[in-house]
Amino acid sequence: MLEISDLRKSFAGGPDAPGGKVALDGISFTVRPGEMYGFVGANGAGKTTTMRIVMGVLQADSGEVRWQGRPLGYDDRRRFGYMPEERGLYQKMKVIEQIEYFGRLQGLSAQAAKKSATDLIERLGLVERRNDAVQALSLGNQQRVQLAVALVHDPAVLVLDEPFSGLDPIAVDTLATALQERCRGGVPVIFSSHQLELVERLCDSVGIVSGGRMVATGTVADLRGAESNTLRVVVRDPAHGWADGLPGTVTVRGDRHILQTADVDDQEVLRRAMKAGHVEYFGVEQPTLTEIFKEAVA
Amino acid sequence: MNGLMLIARREIVTQVRTKGFVIGLLVTGLLVAAVSFLPTIMGGDSYTLGTVNSQQLPLQQAAPDTEFEWRTFPDEEAAKQAVLDGDVDAVLVDDARVLTDGEIDSELGVLMQSVNREVRLGAAGVNIPPLQVQSVGADAQYEGARTGIAVVLVLVLFMLLMGQVTMVAMGVVEEKGSRIVEILLSAVRPWQLLGGKIAGLGVVGLINMVTILAVGLLATSASGLSADFPPGIAGLVAGVLVWFVLGYVFFATLSAALASLVSRQEEVNTVLTPLTMTVMLTYFVSFYITTDPTGTLATVMSFVPPFSSMVMPVRMAATEVPLWQVGVSMAAMLLAVAAVLAIGAKVYARAVLRTGARLKLTDVLRAK
Repeated sequence: MLEISDLRKSFAGGPDAPGGKVALDGISFTVRPGEMYGFVGANGAGKTTTMRIVMGVLQADSGEVRWQGRPLGYDDRRRFGYMPEERGLYQKMKVIEQIEYFGRLQGLSAQAAKKSATDLIERLGLVERRNDAVQALSLGNQQRVQLAVALVHDPAVLVLDEPFSGLDPIAVDTLATALQERCRGGVPVIFSSHQLELVERLCDSVGIVSGGRMVATGTVADLRGAESNTLRVVVRDPAHGWADGLPGTVTVRGDRHILQTADVDDQEVLRRAMKAGHVEYFGVEQPTLTEIFKEAVA
Repeated sequence: MNGLMLIARREIVTQVRTKGFVIGLLVTGLLVAAVSFLPTIMGGDSYTLGTVNSQQLPLQQAAPDTEFEWRTFPDEEAAKQAVLDGDVDAVLVDDARVLTDGEIDSELGVLMQSVNREVRLGAAGVNIPPLQVQSVGADAQYEGARTGIAVVLVLVLFMLLMGQVTMVAMGVVEEKGSRIVEILLSAVRPWQLLGGKIAGLGVVGLINMVTILAVGLLATSASGLSADFPPGIAGLVAGVLVWFVLGYVFFATLSAALASLVSRQEEVNTVLTPLTMTVMLTYFVSFYITTDPTGTLATVMSFVPPFSSMVMPVRMAATEVPLWQVGVSMAAMLLAVAAVLAIGAKVYARAVLRTGARLKLTDVLRAK
C-alpha cells in the first residue's frame, strides 16, 4: 500500500517570498495493491509535483510518502516504474537497447533485462521497430517505449504522469491493457490524465486536486454518491403547471417539457407526468466524472 | 555490475560506435604517423651529383648522415641539360667549376667548398685534424627531439582534453534537458551517474590517447626517428597517461557541474566559458613552455593545479625533472581533483533535477 500524507511544497523562496508559489498544500491519499488510481486536476494543480515527490525527484517541504507501512526509501524506489511528464529517452539509442539498459540500471541481470525487453516489445506492438533509434519513431511509439522503460523491471508500483496524452485511440487501448494487466497482478498504479472519460473507465479510485489541495478522493461510485443524482423527465404536450410544487427546473422546448429534479419521490413524479401528458423519457442520471470534476474545482 | 559501471559502459559503447569516433581515430592515427615520417621525407639529406672530367669529392666522409649519388657525364652540354631537368643537384666540371640551376643548396655549397679545400690541401701535404665537438649540457644531443615531442604532446593533450570535457557537458545537458535524468535518478544515485559518465568518456579519451601514443612510437621506430629519442621514453609515455587522467577528471567534473546548471544544449557554450578559458590558458602556458622548459614560469606552473596537469608532462618531455618535483606536483593535483570532485558532485546532485532557466552557481552552493 502506498500512502501519501500531507505533502507540502512551495517553490522559489517559499509562499511569503516575492514570486514564491505554493505548489502543494497538504496532499494526502492512499493507493492499495491492485488499485488503479486516477489523478486529475487542472494544469498547475500539483499533480506532477506530487508524482515527482513520490519518485524522489523532488523533496517535499513536509509530509511523508510511505510504502508497505515504512517511509519510502531509495531501495524501494528502485522497484518503482516511472514515466515523467516530459518524456525522457536517449534519442539516438535503439529501442531494444534502451529498454534493456534501463532494466539493467533497475537491477536486472543482462539476461533478465533482455527477456523482459523482448516481451514488452512484443506486447506493446514494437517488434518491427525494435532496432530503430528512438528519434525515428512516431510520438505514439516513443510513448510505448517510455512505458516499456517504466515496466521493464516488473515494478512494484507504477507512477505515470500523463501516460495517455497525445495518443490515438488504438495506442490508448494498448497502453490501458498493459496497465490493467499489471494492476491485476497486484501492483498499485497511479496515473494523471486530463482525459476524464478514460479515467472513469479505467480507474477504481480518483483523486481531484485543485490549487495544491486534494478536493475530492475516493472511488468513482463514492464521488458520484456525494453528488445528488438528477431525475430527468421528458413529457410531450403536458397540461401547463403540471410540475408546479416540485423542486428543480422545467425547460420548455417546443411541445416538450423537460423536468430536472432531485430529492423527490420519483414514483409520485412519474404519476403526475403520466397524468399530464405523454412521457417520453424517465430516468435517473448519474453525473459524469467531468461534471464531478467541474463541481469539485469550482 | 553496479550503476556506475553500467553508465560508463553505455557512454563508451555509444561513443565508440559513432562514425565520428572511428573517423577521428583514423585521422589522428594517420596524422601522427605522417608527422613521424615527416623529418625523413622533408630532410632532403640526399644529393645527386655529377662529374665532367673530374674526380668525385669524398663528401661522404665529411657528412656521414647524408646520401650522395654520383653520375658521370661525357661533356658539359649533357651535364647542363641534366641540371636544368633537375636530374642532378650540381655537377663538378674540370675539378674547378660547379654547375647548378640557380643558387646552390647552401649546405651542399659549404660542404663542397670545404671538402674541395681539404682535398687540395691534403694533396699539398697539409693535414688539418677536424674540430672535436663536445657537449657540456647533459642531454644536449636530444634537445631537438625533446622539444618536438613536447610540442606534439601539448597539442594532443589539449585536443583530447577539450573534446572529452565538452562531451561530458553535452551528455549532462542531454540527460537534464530531456528529463532522462529523472528516470535515471530513480534507479541510481547522482554520484553514480556523474562518476559513470566521467569514467566512460574518460576511457574513450584514453583509447584515443593510447592509439596516438602507440602509433607515434611504432611509426617513429619504423621511420628511424626514434633513434633520436632520449632514453626513458616509456616512462614518459606512462607519465603522460597519468597526467592526462588527472587533468581530465579535474576538468570533466567541473564541466559536468557547470553543465548541470543549464537545461538546453544552446546554453552549454556560455556556461562552460570560464572552464574553456582555463583550458585554453593552460594550453598557451604549456605551449610557451615548450620554448623555455627550464625557465621560472615552467617550474612554477608545473606545480599549480590544474595547469600542472599539462605543464608538468611537457616539462618532463622537454627536460629532466627531479623526481621529488613530479611527486609534489602530482600530490597537489590529486588534492585539487579531490576538492573538485567533492564540490562538483554536490553542485551536480543539486542542480541536475532543477530544469528550466539557468541556475546560478552561488545559489546552488548556498541552497541547503
